[in-house]
Amino acid sequence: MKSTPLKKALIILFWLGVWQLVSLLVHNNVMLVGPVETAESLVRLVRAADFWASVWYTFWRIGLGFASAACLGIVLAFFSAAHPILREFLSPFFAALKSVPVASFVILLLVWFGSKNLAFFTAFLVVLPILYGNTLEGLLAADRKLLEMADVFRIPFSAKLHYILLPGLSPFWRSAFSLALGMSWKAGVAAEVIGQPLHSVGNRLYQSKIYLETADLLAWTVVIILISYLVEKLFQKFLTCLPGGKTAKEERSGREEGGERA
Amino acid sequence: MTIQVDSVSKSFDGKPVLTDFCMEISDGNSYLLTGPSGSGKTTLLRILLGLEKADFGNIRLLGDYKYSSIHAGTVFQEDRLCEAFSAVENVAMVSRKLSARIAREALEKLLPADALDKPVRELSGGMRRRVAIVRALSVPSDVLLFDEPFTGLDAANRKKAIACILEEKGSTPLVITGHSAEDLSFCHPVDVRKGVPLQMR
Repeated sequence: MKSTPLKKALIILFWLGVWQLVSLLVHNNVMLVGPVETAESLVRLVRAADFWASVWYTFWRIGLGFASAACLGIVLAFFSAAHPILREFLSPFFAALKSVPVASFVILLLVWFGSKNLAFFTAFLVVLPILYGNTLEGLLAADRKLLEMADVFRIPFSAKLHYILLPGLSPFWRSAFSLALGMSWKAGVAAEVIGQPLHSVGNRLYQSKIYLETADLLAWTVVIILISYLVEKLFQKFLTCLPGGKTAKEERSGREEGGERA
Repeated sequence: MTIQVDSVSKSFDGKPVLTDFCMEISDGNSYLLTGPSGSGKTTLLRILLGLEKADFGNIRLLGDYKYSSIHAGTVFQEDRLCEAFSAVENVAMVSRKLSARIAREALEKLLPADALDKPVRELSGGMRRRVAIVRALSVPSDVLLFDEPFTGLDAANRKKAIACILEEKGSTPLVITGHSAEDLSFCHPVDVRKGVPLQMR
């Protein structure tokens, strides 16, 4: 079933209406404000001079944390896939990283590095195990028979990467990147709320709470959602450009064929 | 240059597959390995490729081989193609020296032109097989090892493929496994259960 843009718009309009109605019923600007007030507040925020400064402050810290963790995670996964010893050696580290609650290591990071670059380290630590784990899984799931073929034909590593490994990785990356992007924003901003670095998005969220500016709080929430949505769309575009990175459905049917012959 | 298979034995889980198998693969010659399924034809090719280790016996490379393992243009029992890529890409990927143009010219000898740019997963079994054959012929090699290369090919295409192999291979030795000797009279038949005794040198 294909949802037309019109249908989509109507559905969204309906839920915005519900939101507006509930806020009218609650009739308390501290408890809940409606979409209209939120939009007004958003416009006011965007016009203020320090809005872009705050967005930029948080954006590039989380972005950098995300990018460096993604690179390191992917490189480590390639080495781990080739050397089982390294894989076993790293597995407790990543298991620990995954199971420690974000709130605990945010406080630890705050003690170690201070609040200024808290969002960077938080995003880094959240993203690293996701990209490492998914890349490793994708590499280990690569078609053994094709890899054997590549060895017999002495195919250079670059071609092996392009024709065999990346097509196998792209479905794993698709889910890993979208999960990691969402997580890095949520955890990064949450860390800023705890650490309170000045001029950050987390700091602004917290101030809205102190001054009981619920409209501002929701407006900032909308900003965070929008940024993470845009970045995710951008990444999906990028992943589709990878070799064999067509839609997930096409990818799956391709792999099933491969499985039957195996 | 000669590849000597000297008294090779191999068993899987205690079940013997190859026993004391001998044969000599030398330049300019072609060999048709025959035997019922499960008699060790594929295993022998895998041992030659270095993908499987013989339990006993040796593979000896006599002559001017640069590497410890042989360069083999191989058609595997399965197609082993990269599904999401076109026939041209599948052939061009195997060597840096191969351009898309050369790959296309080689493929056009065996396949219809409109099949060359589709992802190979959309091709029929016989077409995929022919892509695998062209790929094997496209790399510089010491020996050609073709495991059931004509599966899924009808008589006309089989004839065409054989003509193409003969034209491309030059003096490179060729080992084919298969059930039918039709059109393969240029090959020395070798029964994988018996082998061919090595001559004293």
